[in-house]
Amino acid sequence: MDILAFLIQGFAVAIEPQNLFLALVGCTIGTLIGALPGLGPVNGVALLIPLAFNFGLSPTAALILLVSVYYGTMYGGRISSIVLNIPGDEPAMMTTLDGYPMALKGRGGEALGLSAVASFVGATIATIGLTLFAPLLVGFAIRFGPAEYFALFMLAFATIGGVTSGSYTKSFIAACLGLLLGTVGLDPASGISRYTFGWYELYDGVDFIAALVGLFAISECLVFLEDTRRSNPVGQQLGSAVPGMKRARQCAPTIARGSLIGFIAGVLPGAGASLGSFLAYTLEKRWLGRKGDFGNGDPRGVAAPEAGNNAAAGGALIPMLSLGIPGSGTTAILLALLLSMNITPGPLLFDQQPDMVWGLVAALFIGNIMLLILNVPLVGLFARVLRAPTWLLMPVVMLVAFVGVYSLNNSAFDLYVMLAFGVLGYVLRKLEIPTVPVVLGLLLGGQMEFNLRRAMAISGGDWSILFGSGISIGIYVFAIALILAGMLYSWWLERSGER
Amino acid sequence: MISQESEKPSQPPALGDRIAGAVLAVLALAAWWYSHTFVTGFLQPVGPGVFPRLVCVPLGVLSIYLLCRPGINQRWPKGAVLLRQLGLLVLLGGYAGFLEPWGFLPSTLLCSVLLIRLFDASWRQALISGAVLTIVLYLLFEFALGIPLPDIPMLSD
Repeated sequence: MDILAFLIQGFAVAIEPQNLFLALVGCTIGTLIGALPGLGPVNGVALLIPLAFNFGLSPTAALILLVSVYYGTMYGGRISSIVLNIPGDEPAMMTTLDGYPMALKGRGGEALGLSAVASFVGATIATIGLTLFAPLLVGFAIRFGPAEYFALFMLAFATIGGVTSGSYTKSFIAACLGLLLGTVGLDPASGISRYTFGWYELYDGVDFIAALVGLFAISECLVFLEDTRRSNPVGQQLGSAVPGMKRARQCAPTIARGSLIGFIAGVLPGAGASLGSFLAYTLEKRWLGRKGDFGNGDPRGVAAPEAGNNAAAGGALIPMLSLGIPGSGTTAILLALLLSMNITPGPLLFDQQPDMVWGLVAALFIGNIMLLILNVPLVGLFARVLRAPTWLLMPVVMLVAFVGVYSLNNSAFDLYVMLAFGVLGYVLRKLEIPTVPVVLGLLLGGQMEFNLRRAMAISGGDWSILFGSGISIGIYVFAIALILAGMLYSWWLERSGER
Repeated sequence: MISQESEKPSQPPALGDRIAGAVLAVLALAAWWYSHTFVTGFLQPVGPGVFPRLVCVPLGVLSIYLLCRPGINQRWPKGAVLLRQLGLLVLLGGYAGFLEPWGFLPSTLLCSVLLIRLFDASWRQALISGAVLTIVLYLLFEFALGIPLPDIPMLSD
């Protein structure tokens, strides 16, 4: 039982007072960010990265903080879905369908309690899955050479965004744009400057963090300006969250199915939490058929998507940690954090820094328990935060982004980069071009080119090396299969008219 | 290079995609052409220009496809909303420019007050919460995190 030994070692790291404290802070901030409409996992975590840097945390501690925030947002998103009928973030969208009707019937507290338990079960199952499957994937990936890695990057780009955005053309365009932006700067192999046009600030490439904060946080503020007069009324009495705990026992089969579906959706590249909750809800609705009362406040309609999105969040960490290929927007941002700290995730990470990987996994187990405690007795406190006026919220977000990004390098140039990416992110959103592939291209482009060049150096310039091994061919076939599955899925969506 | 297409006012949906397709196709072509200036003295199987060119090909092809077969867009902003968004960008750009010459406290105070006003708060709310926000950020970064922020030039020697 190697895994058990590693996990015990991980718990020793996770219960260090500093790490425990960071997990608690992360869970609390995450729940808050998730609860506030307009701030979701992606832009919340993006916003906090500069702060994590400025704290001068070790990579392990920074990762524990941000992943706790990530898990926390998944819990928090449901609060405004249920109370206000406004999803706190995208994965919580499905929770509005039955959560808000429950709140209208005065069972809001019950819905919050039930969804907290469902979130807990989903996230815990996913963390157990992470513990078991990540080492398996690592054992497989350790045999990868540069050509196989190149194939893996192709897989990531071929699949990300497609499933959720609907348009393959647009997500591929986004990925190419990101890859092209990723080549800006000094070429590491030859020292030649590419696309810098004499700006020495660009020699290190486009700053990941400034770009990310711009793409997600600043563009969100621009979207928000379109409608500043929306208010957040909190009307109904919530009632106690405790009956929800009992209800959770009745919903146990639903929660189990939702967790499993969400977990699988999370592990697959290009999917993520939104798809996890969507699939968990729709499949549960099918499964129950007439036995369910979905859309009118059926508790199972709250349990299924919440179990699904939390399980997907955990599942998405598997490819990020074991292969260095993120499966969702938020895990892409976590990858940016690691790359900026000069840590390359992948099979070697498990070998060289087991303390970090297993400390993180253990911290997730602990964080989940903290989140359950935060989200059942204290949920009323978080619901009150929803009354914060938007005229204060967005300026705070922008100023934190500004000061955070500025103090990374004490450079005003980074601020202009951030603003430019904010505008880019906004325009892309309007065009319905997904932004996550842009980020992935920017992040992974360097590695992808490096592996391509190494493969070509090994083969002496023979391109057929890229298709030379069973593994790489297998990966290409898998990529094509996933694309086809995605097409089939969007066809099914259109036909059933679910969304 | 990044934001030429940013301020297009309201257009019928497909037009946004066509403009984006055209801009991106030109970008791909320009990047392709420019990549030939990346020349190294020594020979490598894959030089510094190859990967950018490999990316430019699908980018160009897909952009032209988008130009010919546009999809759907969200509603583009216009009128007052667009003006406010531009105002936000000017304000933030100005803040980035004045942060160092003016120092953190005055520039942040001015920016936060105007920012809160831009989000439809009253002057009273904006002045009070802007001042509080500035002080909290200053204390957080300067003392809690120990990161020096730009000082006011006249006060620092």
